[in-house]
Amino acid sequence: MAQLHAVTAHPKPGKYSASMRTRTIYAASMAVGLIGLLAAFYVDKSRAWHSYLTSFFMFTSLALGGIFFAAIQHISKAGWSVTVRRLAEAMTSFLPMAAVGAVVLLFGAKNLYIWLDPEIVSQDAILRGKTGYLNMPFFVIRTIVFFAGWLLFTRLIVGHSLKQDEDGDESHTVKNVGLSVGFLLFLALSYSFFSVDFLMSLAPHWYSTIWGVYCFAGLAQSSFAFLCILSVAMMKRGLVRGLVTEEHLHDLGKFLLGFTVFYAYIGFSQFLLIWYANLPEETIFYLSRSTGGWMEATFALLVFKFIVPFVLLLPKAAKRTPAHLVLVSTLIIVMQYFDVHWMVYPNLVGGNVEKYGGQWIFGWPEISAILLFGGLFLWSVTNFLSRHSLVPVKDPRIEEAIHHHVTY
Amino acid sequence: MAKRVSGVVGIWYDDFELVEAARKVREAGYKKFDAITPFPVHGLEEAIGIQRSKIPWVTLIMGTTGLLSGLALTYWTSAVDWPINVGGKPFFSGPAFVPVMFELTILFAALSSVIALFAFCGLPKVDPPIIDPDLTSHKFAIFIPSTEENYDTGRAEQLLRQVGAKEVRHISEY
Repeated sequence: MAQLHAVTAHPKPGKYSASMRTRTIYAASMAVGLIGLLAAFYVDKSRAWHSYLTSFFMFTSLALGGIFFAAIQHISKAGWSVTVRRLAEAMTSFLPMAAVGAVVLLFGAKNLYIWLDPEIVSQDAILRGKTGYLNMPFFVIRTIVFFAGWLLFTRLIVGHSLKQDEDGDESHTVKNVGLSVGFLLFLALSYSFFSVDFLMSLAPHWYSTIWGVYCFAGLAQSSFAFLCILSVAMMKRGLVRGLVTEEHLHDLGKFLLGFTVFYAYIGFSQFLLIWYANLPEETIFYLSRSTGGWMEATFALLVFKFIVPFVLLLPKAAKRTPAHLVLVSTLIIVMQYFDVHWMVYPNLVGGNVEKYGGQWIFGWPEISAILLFGGLFLWSVTNFLSRHSLVPVKDPRIEEAIHHHVTY
Repeated sequence: MAKRVSGVVGIWYDDFELVEAARKVREAGYKKFDAITPFPVHGLEEAIGIQRSKIPWVTLIMGTTGLLSGLALTYWTSAVDWPINVGGKPFFSGPAFVPVMFELTILFAALSSVIALFAFCGLPKVDPPIIDPDLTSHKFAIFIPSTEENYDTGRAEQLLRQVGAKEVRHISEY
């Protein structure tokens, strides 16, 4: 490459500012979502809370995916990813709102978790045995610990990165390595418990020891998909010319492909052991997802969250063509919502058989929650990107990222 | 084993200059020349104009073959040749076969990729000719084989000097 040694000055990232139209769309989405959700609370309280939980969990995971990506780049002292790291950091800006969302959820927890109903628990020996863990005060404490930890680590790690934009001090990069080690350890534990508390305890009799990993696989897969979309969006606007190139998309695409396989591997590991052992207390999970349209939903996960993206991401050109990568990423994000819905809703429709008949349902209460959380998420991401440089311009490894080159 | 050919070799002391020179040699119309470097040099493949490796195709085809072999093996052994009732499950039980299919996919794909790599690179090369012992530490070379179209030793040597080779030599066999 001719410019290999010739570069003296870096290309400068452009300034992103969300257009009036974009802001209006996000604001409208939030408003419509909020009204829809409030209406849903009035019409069908239980369903409204389930739709709330589904969207809350999905977008909180996306935000955590952003800091997860930044942390693995710091911990591995990666050079190639410096120019896309800020975009991942932008995803974390939703976390404070997710914390508020969690507090709201705590008020509605009675509509979701039967282990909060003292009458049911007193007549159920298994639930009585689990009250040491599944009780409201401890649930609240855990939620506070999760979000306090995530917010603190994010503030420190992203804070160092933003500070470096101003002072160019390399010690920020060094400090972030240790912080990232701590954060990843904390995330592995806290996210496992988070997914167990918020999703698995919906069916408190049932348990799966791989549940946390399954949820984490969805987190990683969907957040890489969102990062791909965000990178392409910034490239399309010409704001990161010479900084984020198709070489970076190629590597993000590889990550996306890798975690797509990881998701299938974990999902199948969970299924295989339960299917093989065939114990009634375990198979109930898959039985409630195999009738009333749920069988089709289960197979849709296999086909559209693994097989189709896997094949579509396999060729080299697929990962280097922005439009194609965005298409696959969009499919994966849609399927991530579908996956969380698949984990949450059998609890609702199975618990109210006379009302829903165990059928697969999706309608305006679900769309409202997506609009509300999606609007909030995109609004906070674009707001973050408008306020900060799109690329950590003074990162000591930025040279490596600018010349990043994927060999064949 | 690859047949040995004669040709002209030029030696550089700097990898960046080598990439530039390789580009110019390609622009001069040479197609079969190669570079010898002590470590991977970024951008060299493009400069030389090396086509993408065919190994991914071998991996894809053999991986698919492995997948189908796994399916055939498990189907034939547990549902056709020696059906055994295991836990009341059907003889043909898809989920139980997946691990075997997965493993055979990996086995076929990985082994054939390695074999293809050896085949495409002409490995193992027993007793390869040594152009310059320093090519494994700090020197870089471009080798123009005599099999190039319209090859002429004098012209090739002149070109290599023109594009900045520090040493130019005729090699009788490589």
